[in-house]
Amino acid sequence: MDYTVASIAPIVLLPFLAFVIGSFTAKKFPKFTGIMVCVAIFGSFLLSARIFSDFVFNKFSADYYIHKTFLWFDLGPAFKLNLGIYIDQMSAMLLVMVSGVGFLIHLFATYYMGEDKRYASYMIYMSLFTAGMLGVALSDNLLGFFMFWEVMGFCSYSLIGFYFEREAPGDASLKAFMTTRIGDVFFLFGLLIVWNVTTQVNGQGSFAFVDLYNVIAAGGFDGQMLLGIPLATFAGLCFFMGTIGKSAQFPLQVWLPDAMQGPTPTSALIHAATMVAAGVYLSLRVYPLLEIGHLLTFVTYIGAITAFGAATMALVQTDIKAVLAYSTISQLGFMVLGVGVGNYNAAFMHLITHAVFKACLFLSSGSVIHSLHDHHTHGHVQEMPRMGGLAKKMPYTCFAMVVCSLAISGVPFFSGFVSKDRILGDALIHGLENPMVYGLPMFLGFLAALLTAFYMFRMIFLTFYGEPRDKELYDHCHTETFSFNRNLPLLILTVFTLGFWYSGSLTGQGLVKFPGVENKEWFQTLIEKPDDKHLAKFETYTSQTWGKVDIKPEVTFPKSHYDPTHGLSEADAHHAHTIHVSGAIGSIFIAFLGIFLAYLMYIRKSLNPGWWVSTFSGWYQTLKNKYYFDHFYIDILIKKVLFKFQDFVAWVDMGIWDRIFIDGWAKVNDTFSYWTRKFDDIVIDTIAVDGTGASVRFFNLVLRTFQSGKIQFYFVVIFVVLASYLLTLKVV
Amino acid sequence: MMGLASYLIISSILFICGVVAIMARKNIVAILLGLELILNASALNFIAYSRFLNNNIDGHIFSLFIIVLAAAEAAVALAIVLRFYQIRESVHVDDATQLQG
Repeated sequence: MDYTVASIAPIVLLPFLAFVIGSFTAKKFPKFTGIMVCVAIFGSFLLSARIFSDFVFNKFSADYYIHKTFLWFDLGPAFKLNLGIYIDQMSAMLLVMVSGVGFLIHLFATYYMGEDKRYASYMIYMSLFTAGMLGVALSDNLLGFFMFWEVMGFCSYSLIGFYFEREAPGDASLKAFMTTRIGDVFFLFGLLIVWNVTTQVNGQGSFAFVDLYNVIAAGGFDGQMLLGIPLATFAGLCFFMGTIGKSAQFPLQVWLPDAMQGPTPTSALIHAATMVAAGVYLSLRVYPLLEIGHLLTFVTYIGAITAFGAATMALVQTDIKAVLAYSTISQLGFMVLGVGVGNYNAAFMHLITHAVFKACLFLSSGSVIHSLHDHHTHGHVQEMPRMGGLAKKMPYTCFAMVVCSLAISGVPFFSGFVSKDRILGDALIHGLENPMVYGLPMFLGFLAALLTAFYMFRMIFLTFYGEPRDKELYDHCHTETFSFNRNLPLLILTVFTLGFWYSGSLTGQGLVKFPGVENKEWFQTLIEKPDDKHLAKFETYTSQTWGKVDIKPEVTFPKSHYDPTHGLSEADAHHAHTIHVSGAIGSIFIAFLGIFLAYLMYIRKSLNPGWWVSTFSGWYQTLKNKYYFDHFYIDILIKKVLFKFQDFVAWVDMGIWDRIFIDGWAKVNDTFSYWTRKFDDIVIDTIAVDGTGASVRFFNLVLRTFQSGKIQFYFVVIFVVLASYLLTLKVV
Repeated sequence: MMGLASYLIISSILFICGVVAIMARKNIVAILLGLELILNASALNFIAYSRFLNNNIDGHIFSLFIIVLAAAEAAVALAIVLRFYQIRESVHVDDATQLQG
C-alpha cells in the first residue's frame, strides 16, 4: 500500500474539522453537530483501521514504518524545524484504539448528554480532545507530540469543568490543568535537552523520535553531564515527569480523581482512551532514554507505589466513579511498572486493554448514573450506598460491567489477565533475581492486583446485587431497554475485553495466520522494544518529504526482530517461562481471592465492612482523605510555601522593583526633566529666541546712528569710503 | 618753469579747502561756498591735464561746462536755502534733519 499524506492526515483532521465546523453550528443545529462529530470520528476510525490492518495483518514486516516530514520553520542552516507523521506498529495500534474507543464513547455521549442544554458544545470539545490524542499518536517528533498533548490539556480543562455553573467542576478543571502543567514544564526541559544533543551529534537539531533513537545509538548522551548528573538521566527524568503529570502517577495523582467531576463520557475519554494513555505512550516512546539514563528502577518504584496506593484509596470510595478513577490510577501504575521492569510490549498491551475495559466501565457507570434520578435534588445519584440490586433493572449494563470487572481483575480468558499477568510476571522475575531492589515493587504489584479484584467486585456487588438500599430511587429507575447509543457501545467494548484478541491464541492457534509465523503472539511480534540492541535499525530510517507517495517495497512478514527468548539464553528463557507460569498461577489465585473476599463481605456478609472500618479507623480516615495528599498540597505546599513565596515575590516587586527601579526611574526622569526645562528656559528661550531679538535690536541701534540725517556726516562717510577705496586701488 | 605739478597742487589745495569747508562749516551758505571751491578745483584739473597731456581743448570745454553747472547749482541751492530759511528761520545745517530714518 502506498501511503500519501492525504490518506493519513485526515485521521487527525476529520475530528478537528468537526470541531471547527461544529463550533459554528453548535448553537443552531445541536443534533446535527452531534451526528457530524460521531461521523467524523468514525471516519478517522476507518482510516486508522485500514492502516492498522495493513500493518498488522497484511503485508508489512516489523521494520515497516511511514515517516513523512515537512519543514515548519526555517531559521537558518542549524535551525530547521520539521513536523511530520510517523507511523509504526505501535502508533497504528494506538490510532485504531483511540479512534475506535473514542467513537464508541462519542456514540454513548449522544445518549448521555442528549438532553443537556450545551450538548453540541460538549460534543465538539470531545471531538477536539480525540483529535489531540490522534495527533499524539501520529506525531513523528516530540514537539508535535507536545503540541497535541497541550491540546488535550486544554480540552480536559474545558471538559472537566463542563458544568462550570457549579463550583466543584470549576475547581477540578483548574486542578487538573495546573497539576498536569507541572509535568509539562519538565517535558519542555526535556525537549530542550533533546534539541541540544541532536544538534551536537548531527549538526542539525531535531525533535524526531527516530533522530533521538539514532543519537542514543550513536552514543550522543555518553559522558554528558548536567548539574552533576548524567544528561540522559536528566532528560529521561524530564520526560518521565511529563508522564507522571499526564498519567497521574505518584506524586501528581491528585488531579485524576477530581477529574470525574466532568460528565461521565469525558471521564471515559480522559481515563481510558486518551489523556492518561498519552503519558504512558510518551514514556514508551522515550524508553531508550529511560534505559540509558538508568531510570528504570525509579520508574518501577513510581509505578508500584501508584498502583498500590491508588488501589488502597479505591477501597473506601463510595462514589461509583471515584472507584473507577482510583482504579485508573492504579492500572496506570501497572503500566508504568511494566515500563520499569522492561516489559515494553506488555505495558503497551495493558494500555490498550485497559483503554477498552476502562472505557466500558466508565460508560457503564454513566449508564447507571444516568438512570438514577433523585426526585428531591433533581440530580443524578453516584453514591453506591444508595444503589444495590440494580442488576434486575439494567441487565445489559450489569453484564458489560461484570465482564469488564472480570477483565480488570485479571481473571483468565479476559484481556486484563493477558496484559497484567505479563507485567506481574516480569516484576516477579526481577523481584526474585534482585529482591533488595525489586522485591518491594513486586510485592506491591501483586498486592495491588489483589486489591483491584476486591474493590472492583465491591463496586459490582454494591451497585448491582444485594437489596436495594434506597427503595424510592430504585423504584423510580426505569428498566433498561436496549438502545443503540446506550448499550451498543458497551457491548462492543465488552467483546473486546476478551483475552484471545490480544493473546497468542488469536494467531498461535490458527484463527488468523501470519504467513511464516507460527505460534507467536502477534502483539509481541509487532511491538518491539527499542532497546539498545535494536536501536541500530533506526540508522537506516529515512523520512520522506510531505506529499510524496510512500514507495517502500513491500516486505512480507517473517522478517521480524521478535525474539521469543527475549535475548536470553535457552536456559534463562526456560527459567523466565517457569517464573511467568508461576506468576500467572499466583495472579489467578489473587484475582479469585479478591473477588471471593468481596463476595464474603458484601453478599454473604460474613465479614462486616463496618468492623474493619471501626478497627482500622485511622487507616480508614487516611484512605478517605487520599493519604492527605490534597491536604499536603493545598494546606502546606500552596498555603504555607507557595503563598509565602508569593508574598516574598510581591515584596520584591513592590519593595524593590517598584520602589527602586520604577520610582527611581521616575526620580531620574524628574531630574532630567528639571534640567531639560532649565536648558529650555536658558539656552533656547533666553539665549536663542530672546537673543536673536536682542542682537537685532543691537544692530539696529548701531546702524541707526549712521542714519543721523546730518548731511555732513553722510558726506564724511562718503568721502572716507571713497578715499579708502581709491587708496586700496593704489591709484594715487 | 611752472609744470603740471604746480597746477595739481593748487587744485588739490582748493579741493581740500572745499572739502573741509563742507565738513566743518555748519552754515549752509558756507557749505555751498565749499562746493564751489571743489568744482573750481576740478575745473582747474581739467584745464591743467588738457594743457600738459593732450594739448587740445577738451579740458577747456569741460571747464566751461563746469562753470555753467556751478552757476546753475548755486542758483538752485541758494533757492533751497532761501526756502529753508523761510521754514526754519535758520541756515544751520543741523536743523535740516527731516531726512533722518
